[in-house]
Amino acid sequence: MTRKLFFSAALCVLCVVFVNAQTPQATPPPPAAPRSGKFPTPVEQTLPNGLRVIVIERRESPLISAQLLIKNGGEVDPPELAGLADMTANLLTKGTQSRDATKIAQEIESLGGSLDSGARWDASYATVSVMSSKIQQAMEILADVVRRPTFKSEEVERLRQQNLDNFTLALGDPGTIARLVAARVVFGDSPYGHPVGGTTESLTRITAADISKMHSRYYRPDNAILVIGGDIGSKDGLALATKVFGDWQKPTTPLPTISPAMETAAASKGGRVVVIDKPDAGQAAVYLARTGINRKDPDYFRGIVSNSVLSGYSGRLNQEIRIKRGLSYGAGSVLDTRRDVGPFLASAQTKNESGAIVADLLLGEIGRLSSAPPADLELTPRKAVLIGNFSRNLETAGGLVGQVGSLALYGMGLDEINRYINNVQGISTADIQKFAGTRLDAKTANIIIVGNAKAFLPELQKKYPNVEVIPVSELDLNTALLRKKKEAAD
Amino acid sequence: MVRTFIRLTLSACLLVVAQLSVTAQTRMPQLKFTDRTLANGMRVLTVPDSSSPTVAIQVWYHVGSKDDPPNRSGFAHLFEHIMFKSTRNMKSEMMDRLTEDVGGFNNAFTNDDVTVYFEVVPSNYLETLIWAEADRLSGLNVDDANFKSERDVVKEEYRQGVLAPPYGRFEYLLQQKSFLEHPYKRPTIGSIEDLDAASLQDVQEFHSTYYRPDNATLIVVGDFDPKQLDAWIDKYLGPIAKPSKPLPRVQTKEPPRKSEIRLTEHGSNDLPAVGMTYLTPRQADPDSDALRVADAILSAGESSRLYNALVYNQQLAAEINSSAETREDASLFVLTAVLSEGKKAEDAEKSLLAEIKKLQDAPVSAAELEKAKNQLITNQLRQLETSNGKALALGEAAVLLGDPSRVNTDLSRLQAVTAADIQRVMKKYFTDANRLVLYYMPEASQKKEGQ
Repeated sequence: MTRKLFFSAALCVLCVVFVNAQTPQATPPPPAAPRSGKFPTPVEQTLPNGLRVIVIERRESPLISAQLLIKNGGEVDPPELAGLADMTANLLTKGTQSRDATKIAQEIESLGGSLDSGARWDASYATVSVMSSKIQQAMEILADVVRRPTFKSEEVERLRQQNLDNFTLALGDPGTIARLVAARVVFGDSPYGHPVGGTTESLTRITAADISKMHSRYYRPDNAILVIGGDIGSKDGLALATKVFGDWQKPTTPLPTISPAMETAAASKGGRVVVIDKPDAGQAAVYLARTGINRKDPDYFRGIVSNSVLSGYSGRLNQEIRIKRGLSYGAGSVLDTRRDVGPFLASAQTKNESGAIVADLLLGEIGRLSSAPPADLELTPRKAVLIGNFSRNLETAGGLVGQVGSLALYGMGLDEINRYINNVQGISTADIQKFAGTRLDAKTANIIIVGNAKAFLPELQKKYPNVEVIPVSELDLNTALLRKKKEAAD
Repeated sequence: MVRTFIRLTLSACLLVVAQLSVTAQTRMPQLKFTDRTLANGMRVLTVPDSSSPTVAIQVWYHVGSKDDPPNRSGFAHLFEHIMFKSTRNMKSEMMDRLTEDVGGFNNAFTNDDVTVYFEVVPSNYLETLIWAEADRLSGLNVDDANFKSERDVVKEEYRQGVLAPPYGRFEYLLQQKSFLEHPYKRPTIGSIEDLDAASLQDVQEFHSTYYRPDNATLIVVGDFDPKQLDAWIDKYLGPIAKPSKPLPRVQTKEPPRKSEIRLTEHGSNDLPAVGMTYLTPRQADPDSDALRVADAILSAGESSRLYNALVYNQQLAAEINSSAETREDASLFVLTAVLSEGKKAEDAEKSLLAEIKKLQDAPVSAAELEKAKNQLITNQLRQLETSNGKALALGEAAVLLGDPSRVNTDLSRLQAVTAADIQRVMKKYFTDANRLVLYYMPEASQKKEGQ
């Protein structure tokens, strides 16, 4: 049992319970002078076929991680085919012209390695992680699955059934339902609104032909980035990339244009209050959701520092909800920055009876970010949290590759990893107040609660007479309306 | 939400520990540790490593949920939470001020056998943290309001881990029903009733019984000067007195199973699940190595036998898993399957049993054996990428296996496992009489049609 997996500080000491020994000193010894560390510098080269290759050397452990990123993911799913990008990416490892699914798994696992593929917002990926002595064979397999997948119909059917089962499993969990509903509430019918893994209806519609078309359209070297990190030098990394991806032909057709602006802001006027009634829920999942910012927004660092004031173990949300009141195992928030404007989500799970009060507490803290912004005494530690997390993330091959891959995907300078600390340190109280007031206005946030409605609805309705209550059996994630049409319900 | 933990809450900490027990081959990084015991009985293990300006500090207390007081199931874990409240010289949550606020982090976990507190901080804060760990070992100072609010947090943790996720109760029941006598039959998270019954008086007694230097192991891995660290340890931890009364230890032995146990339970799940457990020996038993390799052969990756059979070929299951869940006194080998839509629990059970029988009837091939070992080695390398991971591996070797040097020799033990060893342990432990089978079925009334 972990005490805290995300996010804690109370005060007050009244009665002494016991004291059983002596410590020689009543105040903590002060820190010594800090020692500095430095991050590795990524080396990059674009191959003649347009593939951008980035190598980051870190020799501490004999491990290498390599990730091939395609610069499109779930956001390019056609509306009726939600889950297409994810199915396409998942099927990469299920058969190529020279290897069937079993052989791919056998070969990579015999190396002790792992090979994962999937799609998320803005990107599809295939990632290998192996001991450095096995990287040659692993890269050969990585290139094979990205370039020459066959999408055999039996594999399409198998994955379809697995995804349908997974969707059913997801709908058993209040937290998962709440996240999926939040996306629909914030993004409506625009591209970030649908479940990235698809729905029962859309998964049933997807054909092998749709998948092949998605692959030939987006999986091309000039729409891809290869990031190799860990126990390998830049020269060896680039040579290996050239060997397995150098003869990947760039199509003569132009690159697909990225979908036009998603007009997410228009889709979400905010102020919607949605309850998904799941009478057997063991706990209520409470979410506040609204639009946030995109990754290239000049306010990015203001945004992530603001979020750090709210989130993390000692962030304001967990302070109020867990530490002061014991209402949850953890409360926190996420500012999810994407190519287009992503969501801002604040959430906690609590006993069903506390659903309405937790929604109030979440809203109150978002509002307080601009009405009572953090002074330096509070702000400095929250910056330290961000910097510490960032630095530790770069200690593993997988973390390095993920971080640098994300910068590359969004067209950010790779040297940002060595400017990150200064950028965070530069954010002031006034920056937070401005960001919170203009970009995170609590008044336009939506409230989503998934749980046993009977326990919290009366209290919620007092404050929000406009609350929409949808029984989980009538929930339809295919549309922003969220409700199955009457005739379809039975 | 940053990290996922909902489904895993019940077993996560156990798995983390279980996965540590391989290490070291010639090409594996060796942990060059220093081992000393203070006059008060506290063991200290340290590994200097200046590759980054951070340091990991862990204190392992040899007390877990098997030591929960009578009618206080979940207490060892609740106590773990209380250790972050006020101490003799620290206000509540001051540990967070000394770690999180300076760019580090802290956490703790409780399992059946141990409670482990850990911090990772910039290395210039090492002395501060040694002081803080000494302070909470030498005296807690908790008031009733703090105690009750933290107890509420733990109740929410119970709801989030057991009640909210569709298979939370399934995992809980699987452990609870697998032991008949040994206190391992009480899942670490406990029960709401027993948590409600816990009092401040219990906190005091538990601390004075188990939180003592001769029941603690300090591990420090990272950027430090060994002489300076030794001086800080002697200054802050050295003076803590060792109590004269003896440490209680669980004496109950789990009796061998005499015949198959079959159970059916119902829950809010939409897809049925099947779980099986076999009673296996304590972690330090030599057969543990072969059982670990067997576990990898059964369920590590998509080329594993269970994935291939139940998920890929027969398409009976949406998810499968197996786990050699080692514990100090007695272990479980656990197999689970969550069924695919429209499939029968009986068929999944048959298929799981067929895969076990194959491992009993014929030796695994050299290639399959090599594959499993490579997977275990790579997992270990990932574990050893960070200072905190190294300290966890060292702690497990020292506290649960009784020998810190096993952190560097366990991999050669694993390498020595042969196909014949695997066949032997499969025959020895995977008998009909040693099996528990749990069917976890959807409540008929809650079936969702047309989803």
